[in-house]
Amino acid sequence: MKKYYHIYILISFGILVWFGLQSFVKPQKSYSEQENRYLEQYPSWSMEDFMEGEFQDKLETAMSDQFLGREKWMSFSTSVEKLAGYREIADVYIGKDGYYFAKKTQDMTDQKQYNKNLHYVEYLGTQMTGKTSLLLVPSPASVLPEKLPELASYYDADGMYQTAKTIVKSAVVIDTRKALKKAKKKEQVYYKTDHHWTLWGAYTAYRSFCQSVQIQAKSYSYFAPKKVTEEFYGTMYSKVLDKKAAPDTIYAAQNLPEVTTESDGQKGQGVYDVPKLKQKDKYAYFFGGNFGKVRIKTGNGNKKLLVVKDSYANSFVPFLLEDYDEIVMIDLRYYRDSVKELLQEEVFDEALVLYEMSNFAEESSLYRLVY
Amino acid sequence: MVFSSLTFLCIFLPIVVILYAVCPSPFRNLLLALASLFFYAWGEPVYILIMLFSTVFDYVNGRMIAYYDSRGKERQKKCFLILSVVGNLGILFFFKYTDMLISSWNQLTASGVDLLKLTLPIGISFYTFQTMSYTIDVYRGEVSAQRNIISFCMYVCMFPQLIAGPIVRYKEIAGQIEQRRIREEEWVSGIQRFFIGLGKKVILANQIGLLWQEISESNLNELSVAGAWLGAIAYTFQIYFDFSGYSDMAIGLGRMFGFTFSENFRHPYESKSITEFWRRWHITLGSWFREYVYIPLGGNRKGIRRQIFNLLVVWMLTGLWHGASWNFVLWGLYYFVLLLAEKLFLLKEMERWPGFVRHLYSMFFVIVGWVIFATEDFGAIGKYLKVMFGLDHSFLTETSLYQWRTYGIFVVILALAATGVPAACVKKIKAFFQKKLPDGKEDRVQVIGFALYSMYTLCILLISMSMLISGSYNPFLYFRF
Repeated sequence: MKKYYHIYILISFGILVWFGLQSFVKPQKSYSEQENRYLEQYPSWSMEDFMEGEFQDKLETAMSDQFLGREKWMSFSTSVEKLAGYREIADVYIGKDGYYFAKKTQDMTDQKQYNKNLHYVEYLGTQMTGKTSLLLVPSPASVLPEKLPELASYYDADGMYQTAKTIVKSAVVIDTRKALKKAKKKEQVYYKTDHHWTLWGAYTAYRSFCQSVQIQAKSYSYFAPKKVTEEFYGTMYSKVLDKKAAPDTIYAAQNLPEVTTESDGQKGQGVYDVPKLKQKDKYAYFFGGNFGKVRIKTGNGNKKLLVVKDSYANSFVPFLLEDYDEIVMIDLRYYRDSVKELLQEEVFDEALVLYEMSNFAEESSLYRLVY
Repeated sequence: MVFSSLTFLCIFLPIVVILYAVCPSPFRNLLLALASLFFYAWGEPVYILIMLFSTVFDYVNGRMIAYYDSRGKERQKKCFLILSVVGNLGILFFFKYTDMLISSWNQLTASGVDLLKLTLPIGISFYTFQTMSYTIDVYRGEVSAQRNIISFCMYVCMFPQLIAGPIVRYKEIAGQIEQRRIREEEWVSGIQRFFIGLGKKVILANQIGLLWQEISESNLNELSVAGAWLGAIAYTFQIYFDFSGYSDMAIGLGRMFGFTFSENFRHPYESKSITEFWRRWHITLGSWFREYVYIPLGGNRKGIRRQIFNLLVVWMLTGLWHGASWNFVLWGLYYFVLLLAEKLFLLKEMERWPGFVRHLYSMFFVIVGWVIFATEDFGAIGKYLKVMFGLDHSFLTETSLYQWRTYGIFVVILALAATGVPAACVKKIKAFFQKKLPDGKEDRVQVIGFALYSMYTLCILLISMSMLISGSYNPFLYFRF
């Protein structure tokens, strides 16, 4: 029997020692592609931090972030939780047919912030001489409720669109839910492993937008959509690292006019940033990801459009290139200057505020439309 | 530092175990004392001074009591006992209850005395109780005073049971402090016990705790009866697996260093009465209060009225021990009423009830009790209980149906794991195979049984590690104790 005890001691203790040693030996990683985030680095010793307990917290986070085989451990943990009947992990619903949804219940949406943000948009509308539109992209689960785990709760989108229409009078509130629900019968409108919409989803919203600003919408085939990758594992996947997840396919419009772009003062990559297809977050293919200010000059038409947006706009804006001479996209999370001043410096004919609904409700930077 | 962390598992524990193995035995107490101080300083770099003070203070008191005892000077001996008790309770009271008193005073008199806003030193309720048990036992002559301050320091701050019990009385391990031997068998059973405890905490308690957090923080106006019960059941399992998991880890670690600690939990949710529940739940705390409060007050020897009074005192204190807030007092009083009713007439009555009714009755009151325990605000307790008992709320909503369906399997697993059923099954299966085997081969069952159990514990270790790495919910529940 003694022999077996020794074997057990060797294995059990070996696991602890070996992984403990690895955390000293293994070179540190600064970024996790799979999880799409920066990793905590081992803290350097400081008596002050130690007394505050900060050193200890950082060390523990760094240990788990730098742990040997971290991603494999995470998928393993996900598998175990699924086995125990869990249908949500780390605030991600594990939906049907390979869909993953960010969990956004009524309690999780900040109605106060939402109302404030609507008032900021209302203010923007009053400052514009031309037309202002507010396109609140429905959250994936509002369009695909049937793909949610059975009975899973989700915030009340009806109520929120209603509120938007009540508060915002100076801009047209565009609700694309109906159109997207119709469009989903034909083709996928949202990615399965990512929170964004597909090209088809963005196109559907483009049609609604055209109707609202009275532009002649072009057909989907006019843009000649082409498959650019079949290996897209998006942000929802990054959270759960579910081994069973199947990758998404990204399509992109090919028939676009020649344009020049400028991102945060630098000459941009153009509409598509091809090298981004090699990295994990392939959605950054559209305009190379998120910048504070992207200026697109097309030389078509004579209108100038201001787009205040989140990343959903990146795959949407390409459809507008033939209809505007110049488009300026502002992402308030990264844009540090005042939009009010921008409006004094430049004249825009129209403005579009485009956010995904739950992002919009959480966004705390929209006050910069006013100040 | 907490046990359920990667720094403890993969760095602190291996280093201490290896150092302990190579350390010559005369220095082992010193090593454990230093390791424990480091362990405590990791979480409480400042408050370690209080623990060191407490150590020296009670070491001196113990020595003085012994000294005057040898001289037969009763009065002086008593003085040092009183000094020790007052000192310990003073520290405990100052750090734990001052703010509660001030804010209650402010509420009563509508005045605005500033709160001290001290953070509570972790484990203070445990180690002050331990050191008090030491001086009292020395006074009573039940154990001789420790002459070596290093050994005594090791007893006070021993890291396995430092932050969440069990409460180890000095006399239980006095012999082991001087001399202990570890055999492979004990070491292995110790680390296996540790892994089981780790799993209880990380795999079971943390996961179900997430559900309680979600339900208790949701809008109570939209909560349904079924949802409220699921929440209360979730907390019932969370607190059990968390607390008993910590005790298992402590007992296992103790065994790895040659100590035998008392058991703290014996499947409390199997109980068929509240009286039985408290004989199985946090046993070391119950026996501490019995030994050092209830019996000295006269216990049941001074008539029924005095006994009721004694019970009232014990249960108010027991409640208050769990945290400086009135809901804990209410929780203590709740058990006082239940235990009194059982003592006076209910237990006799219950003898006629079928077993499952008695079990249902016990669990009903235990679950309701946890709601009081878990909720600080009296208004919120009332509101939550109102939902549970279906007063103007719907019975079932989509959300609660979803939660039941998502966590249903898990709740069944938890219910089974909280009983002795799995262990009993294993025992039966073992006995079955033992009978089947020819004479002289019985030890094969032992070997195979050990191999299977080993794999089981290693699986638990790996799953726990994966959950710690993926950074899932990992709360520390004893910061108020």
